[in-house]
Amino acid sequence: MNSSYRNTIFVEDAEILQHTGYEGDQYLIRLRAPKTAEHAQPGNFVHLQCDDLLPMRRPMSLMRVKPKTGEIEILYKRHGHGTTLLSQRNVGETLSVMGPIGRPFKLENYHRYPLLIGGGVGLPPMVYLAEHMKNLRGEISPFVILGSEVPFPFPLKPSQIIIEGIPNGVIATMPLLEDWGVACRLASLQDYPGCFEGYVTDLARSWLETMEPHQRSEVEIFSCGPTPMLKAVKMLAEEYGLPCQVSLEEYMACAVGGCAGCVVRLETETGPKMKRVCVDGPIFEAKTVVFQ
Amino acid sequence: MAKNNLTIEFCGLEFNTPLVLLSGCVGFGDEYTRVEGFSNKDVGAVCLKGTTLDKRLGNPPHRIMETPAGMLNAIGLQNPGAHTVVEEILPTLDFSETRFIANVSGSTVEEYEEVTRLFDDSPIDAIEINISCPNVKEGGVAFGNNPDMSACVVEACRRATNKPLITKLSPNQTDITENARRCIEAGTNGLAVINTLMGMAIDIESRKPVIGNNQGGLSGPAIKPVALLKVHQVYQVAKAHDIPIIGQGGICTAEDAIEFLIAGATAIGVGTALFYDPTVCKKINTGLIDYLERHQLADLSDLVGTLTLHD
Repeated sequence: MNSSYRNTIFVEDAEILQHTGYEGDQYLIRLRAPKTAEHAQPGNFVHLQCDDLLPMRRPMSLMRVKPKTGEIEILYKRHGHGTTLLSQRNVGETLSVMGPIGRPFKLENYHRYPLLIGGGVGLPPMVYLAEHMKNLRGEISPFVILGSEVPFPFPLKPSQIIIEGIPNGVIATMPLLEDWGVACRLASLQDYPGCFEGYVTDLARSWLETMEPHQRSEVEIFSCGPTPMLKAVKMLAEEYGLPCQVSLEEYMACAVGGCAGCVVRLETETGPKMKRVCVDGPIFEAKTVVFQ
Repeated sequence: MAKNNLTIEFCGLEFNTPLVLLSGCVGFGDEYTRVEGFSNKDVGAVCLKGTTLDKRLGNPPHRIMETPAGMLNAIGLQNPGAHTVVEEILPTLDFSETRFIANVSGSTVEEYEEVTRLFDDSPIDAIEINISCPNVKEGGVAFGNNPDMSACVVEACRRATNKPLITKLSPNQTDITENARRCIEAGTNGLAVINTLMGMAIDIESRKPVIGNNQGGLSGPAIKPVALLKVHQVYQVAKAHDIPIIGQGGICTAEDAIEFLIAGATAIGVGTALFYDPTVCKKINTGLIDYLERHQLADLSDLVGTLTLHD
């Protein structure tokens, strides 16, 4: 019997404490889920019941977790039936939350320069990981690049943190990360003020190119976002020979490893494997992932 | 296992409760123990994932898709192969908590027989035959859609074991009762009714099926009325031979379970409902006990097949 994972996922009736809409059909939902908050780690997700009328749950990555107050925060984009119903839920109502679920990102022994790249709804796990890394500042210098083609769900703020290798005028950052002292820049093709006009990977390349080789060898990448972006991040990592972890998503049913419905194809040293995003992931080594 | 009024006998085995966790929903029996509040002790048996002779990678994504009141799945029998299951997985299972039932699958009759033989020499409590697999020697037609081929598979498995054999019948055929009769004659000890209904979902932007395998099996509350009718029909054949039925298809509540018992099921399969609520089995058990008390019934067997049809 594999007892190491027994009773590690909790089912909680979570009260909605805040539910805020932003431009681009984006929503921030804050829930009281103390057990999930107590045990979650960066990269974990929860399996949410969006509405009583829709019993199938939706996997949602965690953006912030506050163990002391028992709160979790999720940023999601209204996209289909489930998230549409979720967006209509009100403060004071409860949702069934299963969590925390999944293997987290690497949590220690970081290289000197972690590079976190998040795109669209892949932004939340990067924020969670950055909050974890902020406590290690001094030992490591994380740099976060966030991209979006709809307005960012936070006010853009000029950063006081100077980062070498970033084009002039690219000064916008996420206020939360600025408050944490974590370097961050934003990218978009939508000509938002202070943002890099281009892809997140172009901005990452610009940064990598100006580094000394010995510095560059101390970079490792963590990423979450749409598949085309993750493909580009994987190629970037391979081009520079950098380790890279990516957070993946797939349609999901059970979220506990029971149904094998959410698999992704990996190429490993021992041949091809189909791995479950829910419990074998959602974090995978980018070099093994076969993007469809 | 403590005796209580939910205890049932199924194919000569005592089940702690009538609930059976269905193959393909709970991995190899231990995955749901991750969830606090879930326990294998709450169910009479756990059906392990479909197992073939050699390991299979399964189908490409997407493997599942939500549909109204249900879901489609096409996993493609991803499994590590029967030798690994018997030699490496079964020894890790806690047989004191529940019964474990193997689920045998194959592309040929010979493969079914060989896999059954491997499980026969193991601590597994019973063997379920998944006769809905495509027969590669007959152009990929599912064994279970044809009574002759179904009987052929059951006979082969019967030769390979004396353990209880349960045959999972497909609803995707003209006359399920004829198939049930042939499987009983071929030596099955129990029947599972029903497997999923085949279906499709289409992405209207790409004009391709959503499911990587193009088609998938429909499960969930959407198929409950179909399953209930099939159980009622199969029971008319099975009761004469004293062959018990696991009723399955969209069961989510105690009320659903009771309907299936009244229609003729002895045991109750739970699958998709676990995805909705991983602690659903406790709730169904509580509801069943409450029903027995309200109706002053000694145990669940008093309910089985008690349906009275309108004239």
